[in-house]
Amino acid sequence: MRPPARPRSEKSAFRALGCLTALLCTLAAGPPVRAAMLVITVQTSDGRPLPGVVVAAHSLDVPERKPQPVKAVMDQVNRAFTPDLLVIPAGSTVTFPNSDTVSHQIYSFSPSKRFQLPLYRGTPYPPVHFDQVGVVTLGCNIHDEMVGYVVVTDAPYFGRTDTKGAWSNDLAHGRYRITIWHPRMRDAAADLERELTVGETDRAELTLRLTKSLTPAPLAERQHSWDY
Amino acid sequence: MLPRASLLQPLASLALASLVLATYARADGWELDLDGRLVSSDANPSYTQGGVSGVRFDQDQSGLRLGRARLALTESLGELWSVHLDASAWGDHDRIPVGLTEAYLQFRPYPFSSGYRLRVKAGAFYPPVSLENRAAGWESPYSLSYSAIDSWLAIEVRTIGVEATLDWLGRRQGHDFDLGATGGVFGWNEGAGGFIAGDGFTLTDRQTPYGGRVGLPGDPVLLNFEPFRQLDGRAGVYGGLELRWLDRVVVRALRYDNRADPTAFDTASFAIAWETSFDSFGVRAESADGWTGIVQGLKGNTAIAPGGFYMDWPFKAGYALVAKQSGKHTLSLRYDRFAVDTNMPGLGGAEIGHAWTAAYVFKPDQRWRFTLEWLRVTSNSYNRNDAFGLPALAAETQLQLAVRYALGSATY
Repeated sequence: MRPPARPRSEKSAFRALGCLTALLCTLAAGPPVRAAMLVITVQTSDGRPLPGVVVAAHSLDVPERKPQPVKAVMDQVNRAFTPDLLVIPAGSTVTFPNSDTVSHQIYSFSPSKRFQLPLYRGTPYPPVHFDQVGVVTLGCNIHDEMVGYVVVTDAPYFGRTDTKGAWSNDLAHGRYRITIWHPRMRDAAADLERELTVGETDRAELTLRLTKSLTPAPLAERQHSWDY
Repeated sequence: MLPRASLLQPLASLALASLVLATYARADGWELDLDGRLVSSDANPSYTQGGVSGVRFDQDQSGLRLGRARLALTESLGELWSVHLDASAWGDHDRIPVGLTEAYLQFRPYPFSSGYRLRVKAGAFYPPVSLENRAAGWESPYSLSYSAIDSWLAIEVRTIGVEATLDWLGRRQGHDFDLGATGGVFGWNEGAGGFIAGDGFTLTDRQTPYGGRVGLPGDPVLLNFEPFRQLDGRAGVYGGLELRWLDRVVVRALRYDNRADPTAFDTASFAIAWETSFDSFGVRAESADGWTGIVQGLKGNTAIAPGGFYMDWPFKAGYALVAKQSGKHTLSLRYDRFAVDTNMPGLGGAEIGHAWTAAYVFKPDQRWRFTLEWLRVTSNSYNRNDAFGLPALAAETQLQLAVRYALGSATY
């Protein structure tokens, strides 16, 4: 999850504040926790970068700090979930407004979160609470072509790969278990779990290559309004 | 040119309906379409005019025509029920100017946690055969005229009854495919088969409305034909399977039998019960770069036995369609083959033929659609010669330019 971009001046003010805080912490708490950058790159089975992969890093050494729950929004626009995938910490809530003129009827029968939002337009329902870790697949009971995913994680570090198929984060030195997931991935997620140590250098890198080809992407253009 | 009364009456009715709708526009979904055509045809008198032709518009109907005026409504009734109404006017000589082509109640519970889902429809609707007529109003997004198979359904086949579908939603559980099984029980369609035995196959987009009639009174072949009738106490049944691989491939199979008593006969109207059964199988595949391919085949039999004299007409039809969509443009080409055989002495009602359909669809937005379609049907029909004295073998060409404008919340 990337926070919304702040204006530059505010950003640099925050950075300055951050530096100051870090300095004070260093003075107060003794030696700092040493950090290094972890870069995970995911490739398709034919070696091309794969954007949009959900990456999570769990610490194997110390009791993990749990990520802070967030309030997320998944809209419905032109009979599609927007965005079609959210990654949220366990305990977060998601609001599902419907911005279409047609009604939707959202459901999930995924084991980690079963729920349904009866036929609606606008935002009539309170946010849905996601407290169990797992992938929740969403559908609309009226429009079968609609599919969305909420990935609920308890990893302290998580995100999605960018257009170059890469995700990076600063991590404290230590051992980590890396997991990845993508809606079109045919490989079992367990086969792509890796453990690695961060801290031998300033930068740890890991490239994961899928062994199986992706399932084809959903057809983009749907001009047929009432499918039979 | 257009016969005035036949155009104005349906348009006035639809305009009135849309006015009522605009006033009480509370329906979940509504759509009003107006489809005008410029037609050039060299065909023999059309089946809508009392003749036998392979296309909808004959040479006397060249010029400006009403393709279809349509008003559709979808309204939710509470949480899990909804009602769907589809009314159309075709601007020809049917005895009702506006009629319902489909009208049904749908029950749509949420999927069970096991991944199964039930759908139930009750009312009047199409059995799940077509792979090309997937757009609103049971229209084809690829062309104006439907394939021979779907044209036959449009003319005289409809489920008037109950249909239940149980789907296994594999794609919601990490698999690549979904499975569905459908069963239907129906009645009031014992006219189905009469058109095949009389006129054979035709490529059209005119859907006979409930209460409507096919052809004209005094039609020497169809004899004031009404497909939606029940003449005995027997219900028809069908059962089908569907496999969907992602959103790319659909495979459909259906076994259909109206179980009519071929000896049933209505002495007042001279209507006969046609015992009609068929098997249908088809595949539709789509690619990410806009290609669509459809192959479908249907094989069946229709029979009557008034007074114990058994007459039957085995029939078969199939087509292959290729379409390429690129943004707002769609080009399609379809080849149809069809044949009707018979045990009748002299082969009354036998027909064999094929057709080519080429269409270009330009859909700049959800409201406008422009279509140019060229259709050529070559057929050898016993009845064309026997009943009308025309050469049995005919090659008919119909060229249409269609402009359709759609209004409503379903078009957004």
